[in-house]
Amino acid sequence: MRAGHSELMQTRLKKSRRKLRTAAIILIACGCGWFVMELEVLGVRVLAPYFGSAVYVVMGSVIGVFLLSLSAGYMLGGWLSKKANSKRTLGVNLMAAGAWLCAMPFFIEPVCDGIFNFGLDEKWGSLLASFVLFGAPTVLLGTASPTAVRWLTRQASDSGLNAGLVLAFSTAASFAGCVVTAFYLVLLSMRLTICTSGVVLAALGGAILLQAAFQAGKGPGSEAEGKTEEQLPESRYDFEEEKV
Amino acid sequence: MGNRMRKAALILLFCAAAYSQLLFVSVVAARGLGRLIHKKNSLYHRISVYRSGPVMTLQFGRRRLVQMQSQVDLDNLRQHMLEYTELAFCGLLYEPEPKKMLVLGLGGGVIPREMHHYLPETEIDVAEIDPEVPLIARRFFGFRQDDKLRVHVADGRMFIKRQLGRDPVPKYDIVILDAFNSDYIPFHLMTKEFLEEVKGVLAEDGVVIANVFYSNRLFDAELRTFLAVFGRCQVFLGGYSDNAMLAAPGPTGRMLTVKEAVSRAKILQRKHKLFFDMLTVAKRLRAGTRPDSHAKVLTDDQAPVNWLRTQKRRRSPRHVP
Repeated sequence: MRAGHSELMQTRLKKSRRKLRTAAIILIACGCGWFVMELEVLGVRVLAPYFGSAVYVVMGSVIGVFLLSLSAGYMLGGWLSKKANSKRTLGVNLMAAGAWLCAMPFFIEPVCDGIFNFGLDEKWGSLLASFVLFGAPTVLLGTASPTAVRWLTRQASDSGLNAGLVLAFSTAASFAGCVVTAFYLVLLSMRLTICTSGVVLAALGGAILLQAAFQAGKGPGSEAEGKTEEQLPESRYDFEEEKV
Repeated sequence: MGNRMRKAALILLFCAAAYSQLLFVSVVAARGLGRLIHKKNSLYHRISVYRSGPVMTLQFGRRRLVQMQSQVDLDNLRQHMLEYTELAFCGLLYEPEPKKMLVLGLGGGVIPREMHHYLPETEIDVAEIDPEVPLIARRFFGFRQDDKLRVHVADGRMFIKRQLGRDPVPKYDIVILDAFNSDYIPFHLMTKEFLEEVKGVLAEDGVVIANVFYSNRLFDAELRTFLAVFGRCQVFLGGYSDNAMLAAPGPTGRMLTVKEAVSRAKILQRKHKLFFDMLTVAKRLRAGTRPDSHAKVLTDDQAPVNWLRTQKRRRSPRHVP
């Protein structure tokens, strides 16, 4: 009787911990979705003083660069998610993106002025400038979604569901980031907003790294997260529990 | 069955009534501007041209009676239909004989066309971002380019940056900032950094004129920004419109008292045989206008222009001595 009770408690604990884990992973994807769109909306504002508000700058350069960088980021993220230490990699990626954002306000002017003085017009100039300024952090932010899908997936049949979940939440967060930035954050100092976002992003990356280090300390078995979970018969266990 | 038919007929009737009401309202609203004769979706705006007899009206964005980009009476091109195009002549009070002039924003082309008419020797450069607008100004608003009056299709800020990169940098005696989209001035044409660039192409004794609206708190921020860059700034307040002109003289230019402005206006009136009354323009000078003490300088980094524009000004600048 007692043994059965504690077993039930343990499975419940495990379930709630897994829920927490799912929430945390989705939160990471949401954070990245938010910051991508925040940066994109502010990007238009960043470039306007140097390349004007022509359609090329807004529609072409900024949005185009973000989409291309995201596609590169998804590719890279997918590849990185297969690695054993994907947790550490994502943590480092997010910290790097955060550091880039923190530093960005200091190199906006030299980069844009340099490109303008080089003789490039608003089309190619703004395209190059947005590549230089926003390319790297957007690629890094893009690595989060595929990694999150990998972390959530325990069985191949769940992969579509998890991909949908991650995409839905991160895109909804992108929407929020877009609207909040365009309606409210533009009222504040653009440099300060970008810097603050960088700090938050770096903190997010730091938290992931800390968690990875904590887990690594617990035992060598749990370090290679992805692999061990695959082999665990946890899902079968859950299934049985539900039937009871 | 019959009941249902009757219901459907009633609903249809109601819809028709509502629709005709809507039609009626929009027709009444449009009557002030006349008939829509040209509509074009350009890269930047939904451009509409209305015609009421000889009077043509240019509008960007949605139909509103309060905000018109330009209005021209084709039977009498000398007639200023909107107050701000008259007020823009206040630059001549500071610099009566400009050799070079820069206008940002073409619209119907009234300001550059009239300046060119009265000052045929002055070289006038116009920067207009929308390639469609010069075509419309030419087709409907009696605007013509020639070797003294040239339109450059470029963002105003980019145009000035390019001028700054030339050697020698061309210096303008009068710079008129009149670049508006369907809502207001784009933020990057209001900031401190932008005005610093304008200062770079301004002659030592030249003057910068900016067309602004004065009933909102953005006016204070703009005035504060002008003061931060040029050190001095005077205001010509519109009498029957929300338009005001900020006038900032260059380093060796001088400020005017109302008396001086009036006497200079009389000279201009005689010399150029101005069709409109320059004296009323001069009398609109409010020499002592100061920005609200809370107003902050607009910068490329922080320019909450949309928000400030929706905030009513605490005091009307009329009451400032």
